[in-house]
Amino acid sequence: MRETWVVGAATNRFGRMAETGREAAARVALAAIDRAGIDPKRIGYTFVANCFGVAERQAHVGPLINTALGIPDVPSCAIESACSSSSAALHEAWVHVAGGFADAALVVGAERLSHLDTLAATSYFAMGADYPFETRNGATFPGLYAAIASAHRAAYGTRPEELGAVAVKNHANGARNPNAHFQKPITLDTYLASPVIASPLRLFDCCPFSDGAAALVVAAREAVPRPAAEPLVIRASVRTGSVADLHDRASLTSLPATVRAGRLAFERAGVRPPAIDFAELHDCFTIAELVALEDLGFYPAGAAGRATVEGETALDGRLPVNPSGGLKAKGHPISATGAAQVVEVFEQFNGTAGRRAVPRAELALTHNVGATGGSCSVHIFGRR
Amino acid sequence: MVAPDPGTIEGLRASYERGEGLVGFRSACGFVTATWGLVCPACGARDLERTPLSGRGRLVAFTVQTVPADEFLNEAPYAYVLVALDEGGRISGWIAGTPPEGALALGDRVRWVPGYKTGVQFEREPAP
Repeated sequence: MRETWVVGAATNRFGRMAETGREAAARVALAAIDRAGIDPKRIGYTFVANCFGVAERQAHVGPLINTALGIPDVPSCAIESACSSSSAALHEAWVHVAGGFADAALVVGAERLSHLDTLAATSYFAMGADYPFETRNGATFPGLYAAIASAHRAAYGTRPEELGAVAVKNHANGARNPNAHFQKPITLDTYLASPVIASPLRLFDCCPFSDGAAALVVAAREAVPRPAAEPLVIRASVRTGSVADLHDRASLTSLPATVRAGRLAFERAGVRPPAIDFAELHDCFTIAELVALEDLGFYPAGAAGRATVEGETALDGRLPVNPSGGLKAKGHPISATGAAQVVEVFEQFNGTAGRRAVPRAELALTHNVGATGGSCSVHIFGRR
Repeated sequence: MVAPDPGTIEGLRASYERGEGLVGFRSACGFVTATWGLVCPACGARDLERTPLSGRGRLVAFTVQTVPADEFLNEAPYAYVLVALDEGGRISGWIAGTPPEGALALGDRVRWVPGYKTGVQFEREPAP
């Protein structure tokens, strides 16, 4: 396999977009291409994530994006893996480039649901769970993660203050990210005063519905002799799956897809968890960040909450987690999220992360989950 | 080997929504599920035995949702529950009229309520 890099990356401001997913995807893709400093014609394949494009009455958006980018002859396809769609697209790009099937590939994820009312948007999101056996038996997405939280609390005594510490930290980081959906810090009191959505999860445990877009340019090292920006070396690109329905899994306090993706990624990168300088983890709900920290081996089961309360995962902590603000504060435009995590690594490695910079970062991990862990991506990035 | 036909998803749902019975599938390895499938996700066996489920079990996870799923708009707040069934296996379901605090605890005994409402509805078993 060829050494493969992320040579360009871009995102837009998450929140509410006036433009369509198609327009936003093309704009961020062009920005990523320009940052990479490569001729768009060198792109051999475009992998697009736009799960809910049908909510904008648009499918088959890849050729439209490529046409808008002036590369209509380039093949494209859509990758759908719920909330992990664009990290799945990155994995496919990596497979193509590392395997020698393309010298460069474009990854672009975009989502726009803000033109729908909350009920309609929730209904679209719920299609990512098992619609007849979970959703139609009463589950919402917050409900599924709340069920995980209830089991985690029973097993490890997880306190509301531990979940709250995740929210407070990620909002603090989001306040330092000009592209974040939420750029306002919150206090633990604000968190504790917020209404319960699905017990024990409160409003401030939940990521928002966001619009947004993010793009990456992936290229073989040998195809980019003089990169325009500091590239990310893809040290590991791993995808895993697990039993889709929460009720059919042996454990409710852990996502087996994360556990296996983490083990494989560390093995392939030849490093262990303490070597990671910062991580972008899938915090669709606060409990998800704690479970991810434990499943990936950063902390023993049940220990991540206390570590978060003690500031170990803060920007100035031992292992900064979600310097971007995470899904929780930066926002969660479903199909853009996985790529946006990698954009954050790109900004950090290029010294363009501003007030949220993690000093001297050499190795970073991104973790992106589809629904409740039926699918999962873990990537590890290093410097050249 | 050709797997016995598990029927349709709508057929399984119709069975419990008409109060005719909860249906599960038991695999040679002991895995039991109420989720539609053709091959056991635990051991790969194809000879899944269609088996009636009693609908009695205990809560292994639950949440009281104040924001409902779209077919439950008139039910909030209600509990979304994961139930470990007495004969093995787990199932997703819901419990009506649940206040946000104190009504349920993990380990509570619950039973299926055959009825006309959507989904697999449970209720807490009265104390013996």
